[in-house]
Amino acid sequence: MRPRGSINTTPLEPSVLNETFSLAYEELRRLAVQVRITDPRATINPTALVNEAWIKLAASPKFSWTSPLHFKRVAARAMRQLLVESARRRKALKRCAPLITLDESLASLLSTSASSSEEDFLRLDEALHSLAKLSERQSAIIESRFFGGLAVEETAQALGISEATVLRDWRAARAWLGRELRSPS
Amino acid sequence: MNPDQYERLQDLFHAVADLPLDARQAYLNEHNIGPETCQELESLLAEDAATNHVLDQDLLTATQGFVPRQLGPYRLQRLLGEGGMGVVYLGERDDLSSLAAIKILRDAWLSPARRSRFQFEQRTLAQLNHPSIAKLYDADTLEDGTPWFAMEYVEGLPLNEYSNNQNLSVERRIRLILEVALAVQHAHQHAVIHRDLKPSNILVTASGVVKLLDFGIAKQLDSTGDPTQTGLRLMTPAYAAPEQLRGEPVGVYTDVYSLGVILKELVGSELDADLQLLIETAIHADHAHRYASADALIRDLQHYLGGEPLDVRPPRFMYRASKFVRRNRTAVLASLVAAITLASLSTFYTLQLRRARNEALAEASRSSRIRGFLVNLFQGGDLAAGPSSDLRVVTLLDRGVAEATALANDPDTQTELYRTLGGAYQKLGRLDQADSLITKAVYGRRDVENLNMLALLRTDQAKHDEAEKLARESLVLARSLHPPGHLAIGRAATALGHVLEESGGYDKAVPVLEEAIHILSQPGQPASDLAAALLYLGNVRFYSGKFDESGRLNEQSLQIYRKLHGPSHPLVAEILINLGAIQQDTGNYRQAETYHRQALGIIEPYFGADHPKTASTLTLIGRALVLQKRLDEASGLLARALVIRERVYGLNHPQVASTVNELGTNALASGKLADAEEYFGRMIQIYEKSYSGKHYLIGIAKSNLASVYMRREQWSRAEPLFRQSLVMYAQTLPPDHINEGIGRIKLGRTLLRQKQYDSARTELEHGASIVAKQANPSVSWLDNAKKDLAELSTLKK
Repeated sequence: MRPRGSINTTPLEPSVLNETFSLAYEELRRLAVQVRITDPRATINPTALVNEAWIKLAASPKFSWTSPLHFKRVAARAMRQLLVESARRRKALKRCAPLITLDESLASLLSTSASSSEEDFLRLDEALHSLAKLSERQSAIIESRFFGGLAVEETAQALGISEATVLRDWRAARAWLGRELRSPS
Repeated sequence: MNPDQYERLQDLFHAVADLPLDARQAYLNEHNIGPETCQELESLLAEDAATNHVLDQDLLTATQGFVPRQLGPYRLQRLLGEGGMGVVYLGERDDLSSLAAIKILRDAWLSPARRSRFQFEQRTLAQLNHPSIAKLYDADTLEDGTPWFAMEYVEGLPLNEYSNNQNLSVERRIRLILEVALAVQHAHQHAVIHRDLKPSNILVTASGVVKLLDFGIAKQLDSTGDPTQTGLRLMTPAYAAPEQLRGEPVGVYTDVYSLGVILKELVGSELDADLQLLIETAIHADHAHRYASADALIRDLQHYLGGEPLDVRPPRFMYRASKFVRRNRTAVLASLVAAITLASLSTFYTLQLRRARNEALAEASRSSRIRGFLVNLFQGGDLAAGPSSDLRVVTLLDRGVAEATALANDPDTQTELYRTLGGAYQKLGRLDQADSLITKAVYGRRDVENLNMLALLRTDQAKHDEAEKLARESLVLARSLHPPGHLAIGRAATALGHVLEESGGYDKAVPVLEEAIHILSQPGQPASDLAAALLYLGNVRFYSGKFDESGRLNEQSLQIYRKLHGPSHPLVAEILINLGAIQQDTGNYRQAETYHRQALGIIEPYFGADHPKTASTLTLIGRALVLQKRLDEASGLLARALVIRERVYGLNHPQVASTVNELGTNALASGKLADAEEYFGRMIQIYEKSYSGKHYLIGIAKSNLASVYMRREQWSRAEPLFRQSLVMYAQTLPPDHINEGIGRIKLGRTLLRQKQYDSARTELEHGASIVAKQANPSVSWLDNAKKDLAELSTLKK
């Protein structure tokens, strides 16, 4: 049996998290809109966005003590929240705004995933919340890899677990999430 | 379900997931798994096998579809690897049947910075020429804008694997590291830090040649590099230096650390005391105690292999470090002096005084960075020598001053250092520090060079009389010490000429600079000195309105700079811009356009299509086109400049607003009133945001928008805008400013057309009186005012 108890996810202390999170959030948001304005047809790749956000922010003194892995880990969460909020708003609006909006720019991101509707995406988020109650580590793995684009190796380092565990957890969590999403809510 | 149940279910899942179907059933039976759990497990296994899972759309793969089979002459064979920035393919050249590694930038559209980092790697490779560094073959861009480049494909094993497979002795392993260190040193000499040295980036070919790969996160130590590239990116933590992990500035010592870790891994535990000490020094957590450069590491590796004592000694290390500059002072000075020559060159290359100043500062700070880097190579220290701020350079200089002060028993070196450092401060605009050092240098030795230096400093401080006195003293001294035609006389004359030029004594400057040019034109004299004197005289001629002569002199210096730096150097572009300015001032707008376009041909590829310099050059061409009445073409170029500035400065930056203003003015002139209205509207918005609602530029923007309404004869819309802009001027400009005068005249016309004759007269008279008071009263506005006042008088009758 695997050891139980506290899971060694890199602790995201509230105070540090808040600042890093909000800066990451704002930067990702800004980047998404900017990309959209530069090229309306561009598909937005979250991995690239997160990398880009780090490159922008790392130069700031506020981030001089932040490791890129830690940042990516936080940015993954910011990305998730950004997408969820956008999906919520678009679900509420369901009509095109006259100007290019953040939500439109994020729409391309959502539409490249299999779930093209906001509904599906919100359910994924919900399912991840449920998963976190069963296994915080698995939820962190999915969040890091799917939203932050962390590689297996990076995920392992960020969460302080082995690469084998990342792969094993990913597989199990993927199966569990798939079932949650397919079952009628 | 609770976490425990979930975990049990998972264990079961992993236990059976990879079993064949019948074995699964057997396992479940054997372990007495209940039907409910079985059902749950079944659904998980079904999902495990599903192919359309939402998480599988890992978006990264989705974007890889674009890669074509053929890139230029290369046919792609297979994927070699991928990183944060790009993917690498193995490519084969059909015509030569040779192999190359093709690197393609993914998501090039994401930002200009991304593209420039990619191009930076490409430029780095192009610039480095070392048998142990993979060579650049080819580079191009796909139709959709995706850049790629081809480089030497290296077939080999990672350093550690190779060493183990070949069962190499410790000595052979150290020799391999020495090879790597030499390649790293080559990169350092070109001001490139690798930042991601690790065994997998170092391959050894079958013939035993070491090859250093992947400069993807390397860093260039000059300002053309990406200023955001500070700290670490995607490097590999195991080999990263502590300062890198902390995100602190990096330097050459950062690569030294990685080399140390690789060496430690490679030689294992068979260490004698010396090797132990060597490795400890290389991987010291505090880089002040580390080998300060690849060079220092190389020397000790060679000492070790040769059985000689190491340079490094634990207790005396700090002492040695401080002695180092002294022992190598010629080398240190040579590097400092070389950089200073480079810096002083740059003061010459432009015509307008203010521009000359700013450009020289920019260029000088760049050169200082290079010098900072060189000094770093020799003495280490805690400077990144990075491209982020002049502050670092200043810190470096401060350190230099401390060092110089300590050299009291070596007055010659001390004096030289004072002058050199003083010159550097001067170029950075830190005139106080420069003053104290250069004065000390002159006090130490009142020679021609020091006097020239102090004279130029006094000019910078606008102490023109003193400057002239010093420069004349220097020239007299040079004549008394040297035979006629000596370089020192030429230099002193050049300095005096420049001093006189800056103080506006153009007539006096001409014979002095002509003498300098005469001396410096003799065979054997440094061409760069001649080019400088020619440019100074070119400036003098330009300011005194002798444009032909100025053009000729600029042409001459252009030829020299082309010979010295090649046809595509930014200095060459600056002179082309001078030549363009001459043509513009003499009304040859088409010629001006040609020169500025030539300058663009250098600046755009050198700095990149997204660089502010490219934007300013586009603007110069645009202005030349406006004066040729080719307004549409001009707008095209200005729009390009606008896009660049928007990217560089953001959408709401004053720099952007000034381009928007030019576009608006153009649109107004060509009668595209809707466009003009939009541009000026945006200009107002930007200025209001940038200056929190209070700045005279907001007034100008409103007044410009009002002019559009005037043109449409929408007088009632124009009037309030003019009034608002006048209020703004009143709050932000001194009384009776020309802007206020023009604003009142415009407002007067608006009131006149609305038949408010009395207030119209008041504004027109007030405005005209303000304009008439200016040093250079704008005739056209006065005429306008007079015309309207005349109309008023006839109406009154």
